[in-house]
Amino acid sequence: MRDIVTGGTKTVNGKQGLHHLAQVILGLAAIVSVLALPGCATYSASMAHVENAAANRDLDAANKALDKLKLGGSDETLLHLNKGTLLRWQGQYADSNTQFEAAKNLMEQLDAISIKEQAASVTINDTFKAYEGLPSEQLMVYSFEALNYLQMGDVDDAAVEARQFNLKQRLLAEKHRNAKYLSGAFVRYLNGMVYEAAGEPDSARIEMQKAVDGYKAQNAGFPIPRKLGDDLARLKAGKPAPSEVVFILHNGLGATLAENVIRVANPAYDPRNPKSIGMISLAVPRFVRRPIPVDHVVLSAGASSATSEEVEDVNGIAEKSFNDRLPVIIARGVARMAVKLAAEAEVNKKEADNPMVSIFTNIAANASERADTRSWTLLPGNILMARLSLPAGKHDVTATYYDGGGNVLGSRDFKDVEVKPGQKSFVSDYFLSQPGRR
Amino acid sequence: MLSKRIWMLLGALMAALVLGGCSTEVKRVGVDEVRDLSGYWNDTDSRLVAEEMIRDSLSGGWIDRYAQKTSHTPAVIVGEVRNLSNEHINTRTFVNDLERAFVNSGRVDVVASKTQREGIRQERSDMDLNASESTRKEMGKERGADFMLMGTINTITDASGREQIRFYQIDMTLISLADNRMVWTGQKKLKKDVTEARFR
Repeated sequence: MRDIVTGGTKTVNGKQGLHHLAQVILGLAAIVSVLALPGCATYSASMAHVENAAANRDLDAANKALDKLKLGGSDETLLHLNKGTLLRWQGQYADSNTQFEAAKNLMEQLDAISIKEQAASVTINDTFKAYEGLPSEQLMVYSFEALNYLQMGDVDDAAVEARQFNLKQRLLAEKHRNAKYLSGAFVRYLNGMVYEAAGEPDSARIEMQKAVDGYKAQNAGFPIPRKLGDDLARLKAGKPAPSEVVFILHNGLGATLAENVIRVANPAYDPRNPKSIGMISLAVPRFVRRPIPVDHVVLSAGASSATSEEVEDVNGIAEKSFNDRLPVIIARGVARMAVKLAAEAEVNKKEADNPMVSIFTNIAANASERADTRSWTLLPGNILMARLSLPAGKHDVTATYYDGGGNVLGSRDFKDVEVKPGQKSFVSDYFLSQPGRR
Repeated sequence: MLSKRIWMLLGALMAALVLGGCSTEVKRVGVDEVRDLSGYWNDTDSRLVAEEMIRDSLSGGWIDRYAQKTSHTPAVIVGEVRNLSNEHINTRTFVNDLERAFVNSGRVDVVASKTQREGIRQERSDMDLNASESTRKEMGKERGADFMLMGTINTITDASGREQIRFYQIDMTLISLADNRMVWTGQKKLKKDVTEARFR
């Protein structure tokens, strides 16, 4: 403890040093409280304006609302992830990929540990840690970048994403050995299509097989996509790919995290000390699922039609990932409160004759306690895929969205979709519930 | 109340956080200077590939063989260099270096690329209408290429924890447009051991 406080200043003794450290912790907490309290809304609550504008299909307003949040510093990754999603929805695929690429680079850099951020997270709150994205989010970036390239007709660059994903997924699986939900089954299914389009049928077959294995391993709660099985059988038989339109729907919004205050036992509780507190309050995130609006999509062109299949349960994977992280979040919160309480006690002991200090330190310790509610909130709740085989040529294609009761929620027309012989044309859309119904 | 010294300490801390790294520093470096930042494909890799390919292609013997057989300079067109790696690599840099070396050697003619040709044809059409007869250039007199240069970039990356071994293999082939014969193949291999920092 002395080494940390003195930092080479030999004249400060241990007790003085401890007292000064306590003052520094509470002083920083006080500054954070002053800075944070006026804009008290958590990240997830602030994103509501962006989501509402997007739900109304006013993506320019959504982009402006996102810019207004001025996400930067420790939240910069979130800025790029959300911006990339909005630009993708706007059909600005190249710009979207610039954002996703920036997010990926940051994720890579942030994988290294920052002592400063770790110290801040155990003394002030978790939001001081730079957001590097959940492992499931890190994998999802590759699929959106690949889709953007495919929708620009750039198969080779989509294949670069597929290869990068392969490496990333392997490293994440190595790091989180029991997290079967990180199999990246959907991304592998997509990558199989990418490899086949790039003229690499062997790689396509291997990816499709891994996708089947991944769906089984992650036990997603929905059947393995039938079309994936068909593809795998066709590739194993060495048959060529049919000409088709592949439609991807970003369906609803993924889960959000709300702030939740829980009471836990104070590990530093001293029953002999009447001032010692037995239970402490911690601000921790709470996983909140949002309803998924579309049950299925019917993709049609002339007399031909095809019904969608669920290919990724983004919510389910995020929940499993959250549940894995929660014990660590709580343990860090308990350690943090113990540090704050110890600092508070130390300062109060020295300034016993000044009641204002006691009030001030208490406010500083509690007001700085905020849950980290950050997540890539513009991720869909799930992803639906519809594949429609069509003869080569240009086609007008319509995607009709149905709810669970078979009612039509809406539809989108795609004019002059060009289908080349033996190739896939990718089109996509998003559908969000109207504000107030989320 | 908090002592004066603590407030000064906090003030200094805040100032350091706010002011730290607020100016951009620019330093010019030589183009041949090797600076590896991330371990990914960079300018040095591109230059090393270009140098190797130029040296190899100009001394390959195919130019002399073609000149002896036909008694004119071979014309080459640069085709696609497919990126089959796991990085978004700009292949134009070393392809341009290779083109420049061919042109400057005086032993090979380089034909304009597909995009360049479209622009030139548009200009020629415009000349038909607007240029004087003595300066107008006729359609249908383009130099057809004798050979096409094509290539691939492949990578194999092995990674565990914070360490990665990145292996790059660049293959280039010159193919006779008349009969699909490969008259020259060049290859360059690069290998990097990259260890990422544990702390930042």
